[in-house]
Amino acid sequence: MDRRKFIKDSALASSLFFVPSFVKAFESVATEKLGYRRLVIVQLAGGNDGLNTIIPHNNDVYYNARPRLAITKDIIRLNDNLGFHPSLAPLRSLFDNGELSIINNVGYPNPVRSHFRSMDIWQTASDSDEYLQSGWLGRYLDAHGQKPYNAIEMDEQLSLAMKGEHFNGIATNNYKALYKTAKDPFFKSVLNHYNDTHLSEHNLGYLYQTMIEAKSSAKYIYEKTKVKLSQQDYPQNNFAKQLKNVAQFVNSDLDTKVFYTSLGGFDTHANQQNKQSRLLEQYAESISAFVKDLKRNETFEDTLILTFSEFGRRVKQNAANGTDHGAANNVFIIGKNLKTAGFYNNLASLTDLDTNGDLKYEIDFRSVYATILSKWMNVSTKGIINSKQEVLHFI
Amino acid sequence: MTRKELQHLYWRAGFGMDHKKANTYAKNRKSVVDALITDSNTVTPLDIDLSYLDGIDPIDLRNHPSLAREITQKGRKKVRELNPIWVQRLIDPKELLRERMTLFWANHFVCRDQNPKHALHYNNSLRSFALGDFRAFVKAISKEAAMLKYLNGKQNRKRKPNENFARELMELFTLGEGHYTEKDIKESARAFTGYNHNFSGEFVFRERQHDDGSKVFLGSIGRYDGDDIIDIILEKKQCARFISEKVYRYFVNPIPNKTHISAMTDVFYKDYNIEDLMRFVFMSDWFYAEENIGSKIKAPVEFLVGIANTVPVKFERKKDILVIQRLLGQILLDPPNVAGWKGDKAWIDANTIMSRLKIPSLLLNNALISLKEYGDFNDKFKNQYFKRSKDKLPFKTLPNWDAFLENFKSIETENLSEIIIQGNINRGTADYLKTLSKASKRDYCVQLMSLPEYQMC
Repeated sequence: MDRRKFIKDSALASSLFFVPSFVKAFESVATEKLGYRRLVIVQLAGGNDGLNTIIPHNNDVYYNARPRLAITKDIIRLNDNLGFHPSLAPLRSLFDNGELSIINNVGYPNPVRSHFRSMDIWQTASDSDEYLQSGWLGRYLDAHGQKPYNAIEMDEQLSLAMKGEHFNGIATNNYKALYKTAKDPFFKSVLNHYNDTHLSEHNLGYLYQTMIEAKSSAKYIYEKTKVKLSQQDYPQNNFAKQLKNVAQFVNSDLDTKVFYTSLGGFDTHANQQNKQSRLLEQYAESISAFVKDLKRNETFEDTLILTFSEFGRRVKQNAANGTDHGAANNVFIIGKNLKTAGFYNNLASLTDLDTNGDLKYEIDFRSVYATILSKWMNVSTKGIINSKQEVLHFI
Repeated sequence: MTRKELQHLYWRAGFGMDHKKANTYAKNRKSVVDALITDSNTVTPLDIDLSYLDGIDPIDLRNHPSLAREITQKGRKKVRELNPIWVQRLIDPKELLRERMTLFWANHFVCRDQNPKHALHYNNSLRSFALGDFRAFVKAISKEAAMLKYLNGKQNRKRKPNENFARELMELFTLGEGHYTEKDIKESARAFTGYNHNFSGEFVFRERQHDDGSKVFLGSIGRYDGDDIIDIILEKKQCARFISEKVYRYFVNPIPNKTHISAMTDVFYKDYNIEDLMRFVFMSDWFYAEENIGSKIKAPVEFLVGIANTVPVKFERKKDILVIQRLLGQILLDPPNVAGWKGDKAWIDANTIMSRLKIPSLLLNNALISLKEYGDFNDKFKNQYFKRSKDKLPFKTLPNWDAFLENFKSIETENLSEIIIQGNINRGTADYLKTLSKASKRDYCVQLMSLPEYQMC
């Protein structure tokens, strides 16, 4: 469709409700690429225990608070105070190469200890007493997105993080199946007869446009993705599969700025040790394979990986050899040419805790987002991050 | 009333018209609306087997953490079981309008609870107040166990007030943003201190945690408690306006009309009677105006229930009902946050539109949307196709096409689009429909349900 004609028609038809950014969703031809840099989000769902991930191996308070849960053996010491959980061994070389930055004590004021709500806060970048109906990456799309495939979530449904006010990313855990659905001959026949007269009807016009966009996005992803490129071996688990698909998309040079992946199961209230150890192993092995895959294809340089969890866990272990919901936690940034590699900051005090016995936050998670937006994606944070945030210097 | 008007009314007050009763509807608007409301005079609560909680008291749970964990896990499972029971109720309701209103209020007084007893109680409260006195409704909500947990009311104590409930009470439940100050939030939070509930979910007022001092709230001063605060809020006409606008956008048109909302506000402000407000809306000429018919994008649950109303369908696995809701982005009892689902265009993205277009054929026709143009379809191919695809289908359903054919027997296949589709059909698509063979009413029904137009009501 002729875009200019559409704008003219719809402006005439419904000038009253004409919203400029809404028109973005109607553009049928992406006019320019969004730039070559990509962001990969890894969400560790359930609240990963940060203290048993990055271990304060030289701190008696840690061992006293967790008599049966503290990691004592095979800690991978990274400096005099902090070390990796043994399962993170595959990430050691990234740390040594200056390709990993660990930001400690990330959180937000008045932390909420409900998974659901705290994840909501992280995904929408809201205050803890504020409820937003769009996500931070969705608002990025509102301002800069041109096609749904500019942001892909490796799941069958789209997280709030990826939903904007007017523009959404696309979710797919099986892009071939998506393509097959979109290819249904009936839909093709309907769209063959499609004309733009319906645009006078606000919502119906939006439905047709989204249908066309979905069809063309599914086709774009399917046709552009080169399956043969990946020669990297990945572990056999769902998270690794997500990353493998991301690598395929990245290495096929899809015009996608944001990829969203997730690994769940970190809610370790009881018998934490084996469970967390297994999950961290999955995480580290998959990430390591992913980075190797990108390096082999020379795309690592243009990719930044952010790993977060909705909260950390209580300093003190509980009676069931687990930990309860906490507050501030560490965040991992993986990429080439990091400005502050290694530890971005020191771990907060284990004695000066909040009233719940949790770590106090030092860095607002939204300043991590703001830094990524302004220094990596090269866009203004205005309209995306609503509160004023300090820009950090890890990239 | 014309058939078109009836269909419109029943899409908004319910989930589509019941075509087997098509000839029994009264002729004039007043009788139809009266019947709609009278039929909802009774309340039929949802029920779920909670016998696993029998004999368990809070002390047991405190002393046996492993038992507590087990009970919590069972509870989560029960809440998931409650979902298809509610959906089934919407498909086959005793009190149609009441159920529709319950769904509306569930996205107004948004709440989420993992305790099935409290979640069920909350849901049934929405149901029993759905057409009643809004004042009593808000007061009851402020005392629900599920809400006391969800917005931290039970952590709201004299020495350490928690403002969460007070803030959302005004911002989302009654006045809307910009009609109160931060000071009003702080003062009213004090009035709700001491609210709590016991193990079984009954409201408990903890006198010692209540701040009995005087509060300055929305320009008046007194030693207010929570109920007083709600009374003061409802004195503001803005509250009636806020609710009227929300009702208008949900039941009439997502684009607000100031004149109509103002008329609704006058009706509602009199005594905050919800039934009177709804009667006023459904009796108004403007409700049936052309621009309102088919103007709304169906919510996923409306979409799903609407399909089942047209073609009765049995879900062999209850979890499929949840899977569909997840694919479409609305799982009942599991809202995104207290602001609820945004609705309208926000339902639609690249994923959900494709799912919506494909789901009717998946549920009703083994994923096949017939392409039969001028009857060139080959039954042999069809049989082979069904055989081949049967095992690969994501859902296990038993559609009752015989019932469909019986219910729609008085309707010519040629005219089926007027029954299945609300509102206008895009011209190109209408041209395409003309080319389709209408030899099979069933195939044509699936084709119509696989159009973007079917997403509207």
